[in-house]
Amino acid sequence: MKNRKTSRLNQSVSRRTFLRIVGSSAGVAILAACAPATTPSGETLATVATATPVPTPAPSVQGEGFMRPDGTPKRGGILRTAFGVTTSSFDIHQGAGPQILAHLYNNLVRNNLVDGLRTIVPDLAESWEISDDGLVYTFHLREGVTFHDGTPFTAGDVVATFNRITNPPEGIIIPMRSDFSMVESMEATDDNTVLFNLTSPRAFFLHLLAATNAVVYSAKSLDENGQDLRSVIAPGTGAFRFVEHLPAEKWVFEANPDYWDPELPYVDGLELLHVPAWSDRGTAVLTDLADMSWNVSKETWDEGNNRPESVTANKLANFGAYWAVMNTNKPPFDDPRVRRAVHLAISKQNLAAAFGTQELINLTRWVPQGDPNATSPDVLATMPGYREDKSEDIETAKQLLADAGYADGITGIDLLAAAGPQGELLAPAMQDMLKRSLGIETEIRIVERATLPSEQQAGSYQIVIDTRGHGVSDISPRANLWWRTGGSQNFTGYSNPDFDAQLDLIDVETDLDVRKGQIDAGQDMLDENPPEFLIGYTFHLPMWNNRVKGLALDNRIFAEWGRVETVWLDT
Amino acid sequence: MSKYILNRLLIAIPTIFGVTVLIFVAMRVIPGDPLQLIFSESTGVYVLSDDELAAARASLGLDKSYPLQYLDWMGDILSGDMGSSFWTKDPISAMLIRRGPISAQIAVMAVLLSWLIGVPVGMLSAIWRNSLMDQLSRVGITIFIAVPSYWLGLLIILFTVLVFSWRPPITIIQLWEDPLGNLSMTLLPAMALGLPLAAGIARFARSAALEVLYEDYIRTARAKGLTDYLVVWRHVFKNAMLPVVTATGLALGGLLGGAVSVEKAFAVPGLGSLLVQGLTERDWMMIQNLVLIYGLIYIFVNLIVDVSYAFLDPRIRYD
Repeated sequence: MKNRKTSRLNQSVSRRTFLRIVGSSAGVAILAACAPATTPSGETLATVATATPVPTPAPSVQGEGFMRPDGTPKRGGILRTAFGVTTSSFDIHQGAGPQILAHLYNNLVRNNLVDGLRTIVPDLAESWEISDDGLVYTFHLREGVTFHDGTPFTAGDVVATFNRITNPPEGIIIPMRSDFSMVESMEATDDNTVLFNLTSPRAFFLHLLAATNAVVYSAKSLDENGQDLRSVIAPGTGAFRFVEHLPAEKWVFEANPDYWDPELPYVDGLELLHVPAWSDRGTAVLTDLADMSWNVSKETWDEGNNRPESVTANKLANFGAYWAVMNTNKPPFDDPRVRRAVHLAISKQNLAAAFGTQELINLTRWVPQGDPNATSPDVLATMPGYREDKSEDIETAKQLLADAGYADGITGIDLLAAAGPQGELLAPAMQDMLKRSLGIETEIRIVERATLPSEQQAGSYQIVIDTRGHGVSDISPRANLWWRTGGSQNFTGYSNPDFDAQLDLIDVETDLDVRKGQIDAGQDMLDENPPEFLIGYTFHLPMWNNRVKGLALDNRIFAEWGRVETVWLDT
Repeated sequence: MSKYILNRLLIAIPTIFGVTVLIFVAMRVIPGDPLQLIFSESTGVYVLSDDELAAARASLGLDKSYPLQYLDWMGDILSGDMGSSFWTKDPISAMLIRRGPISAQIAVMAVLLSWLIGVPVGMLSAIWRNSLMDQLSRVGITIFIAVPSYWLGLLIILFTVLVFSWRPPITIIQLWEDPLGNLSMTLLPAMALGLPLAAGIARFARSAALEVLYEDYIRTARAKGLTDYLVVWRHVFKNAMLPVVTATGLALGGLLGGAVSVEKAFAVPGLGSLLVQGLTERDWMMIQNLVLIYGLIYIFVNLIVDVSYAFLDPRIRYD
């Protein structure tokens, strides 16, 4: 153009010269990026799955009164948490998230927040007796407790709550119903005493009542809403009252000034921020947008471990696990020998390593760490199917396959997985090991997470990698659902009459030592004739600002996303 | 002009009707039944039996025939009821009112940024064709067109967290509540969206300006003695803007619905993340109503774009 002032910027540059400049710059950048990954301390990253021992919980403690945290609690402040706080409804018994709503309610008994969940302590029940035959539980309820709407709490509320759980009306779906199938009846003998009559004893009955979802609703709320609390935030007796709910954004609760524990809560309120992505939860805590999160991503957890001056991070045994579920309704996995071959040959350590950048997996047996009946890591490390050295196990597995008529391997196996890390990391690792160790060739099929249930119900797979968890660590509730012949969630059609009989014993045994032996024998049966391949129970990675006290998060024996009424902020 | 606008609005009615039918059918056809499972942190996944499923359907009115369900939905929309989230009954209109301004603000800021950067870069690249500036800007354009907004957003977050121990807020701060807080929430997502958009705008502007620069009337304008500035501003700019405005309109329509990937990267609780949540949970009500809103936004934005042509180019008249 005329009269254009020329500068370096608008001077013509030949294409060859320009490409030469760009190419040199790109080369330097690539060289700089090729350095090995190291931690800030200089060590090279390596992910190793190891079995982590967990202390054995002590039995329940009653008559202890109230939970009191260590230190000198200060009052005031708002605790901000960061995790996923959307919920399908507001009815905890019908599947709503207890990690959100449990703050508004109480249970009859609960896991002790101040001793790391090691004991079961009184909640609405001040004390209790168990009959010698284990069939009658008598709970003596606290007096002077009121719901947030002023309604007095009585034994009638407990009866109404558990009546709905054990005998839900038409249209009310209570997933935890089967957990309480042994409850024959309940009766309120007076306003402050309630009896539970069981058809057979259960050593873990108090654990069921202490689970985060076993909250007590008021009979009034249930009656006023036709027994359906899905669209109603019913008043509770809990340490916090509902203030505000911004869907998929946050929940706001305030301290209940009339809480039956005169000391609690210490904080003025809670803000549960909706942060679905694990990495965002971690960055929220690292940048002080939140005070704590129950579970953050591995990389933010690592960063948190590098900032001990401001945050603390821990690793807790969790009751959710990854499974490779084998369809026992169709060949080849209808043959227990094939399933056992998979159990022996596939390395749980390798799968944990493959998934290590995503989530930490603990090496466990059928009973997870954190349960008193879990197999100790030392023993686990020597057991076939669990030990790291696979040479002997693979040979045994190959022989089993040969005995089952698959000496030349198996082809065309449909390996189903949900889109996301399971499909991207676990499925290929599983595929590789099945092929290399056993000659089993699979085709990975990825589907959207929301369609997995229909695929599972339809049985349109041979192996599916899925995640599944349970609120109570005891083996009995989930074994009856998942592995008992005809269990309501037993979609693979697994049937093992020997295990069914063993489960009958485990269900009703009340001598804890005898029961442990029975559970060990049950686990042996599951190892011998596996219903599915357990990849491993996961760790949760909580992280919190150092000012958060009172929850014994550094001392917990398992992860529980639940109430926080003993928390205080050291500001 | 008013007749043209009225005609366009009338044409929009069957368009919207088609959108509603399409999304209604799609929700019933795609695999994944929201009622089939109840998931909770404590119980894990619980798959409903056939009897439980039937009872759940009846309790939510989903045992009615599809045409009846569609008519119920349309009846609610026409009476101003946007419906509620499937299970919790959270009113969708309340969520739209709270999140819509944030998504809209990010979209508008992204578009403004794209114009502030893209138009000058594109125009100068065209004017100084084959210069160092042109070469550099074309490389930059290619890079930012290739780089996904989501990845750019994650890089930004990583940088701010590691270097400054800071990240944008994760709860909504409206502009009128706390302007600075609002900007801290929206500026970085707008940048992550705006930079790739600017690259596209620059490309459009460059190619349109190159086309116009060699027109006869430009040569005539120079021959008449007009300065470069006047030639560019009065003739080149206006005539090169038509394709840029079209591209902007298309982009804005999409962004106003919520830029899903960037909202995820920055954890912004906007319309995009609401849609993703609805899709994941198969919340039919939420998805249907959000898609309806997006359809209306697209129609409205396209109408504005079309009307703006008449102002940019006097030869275009709508009678």
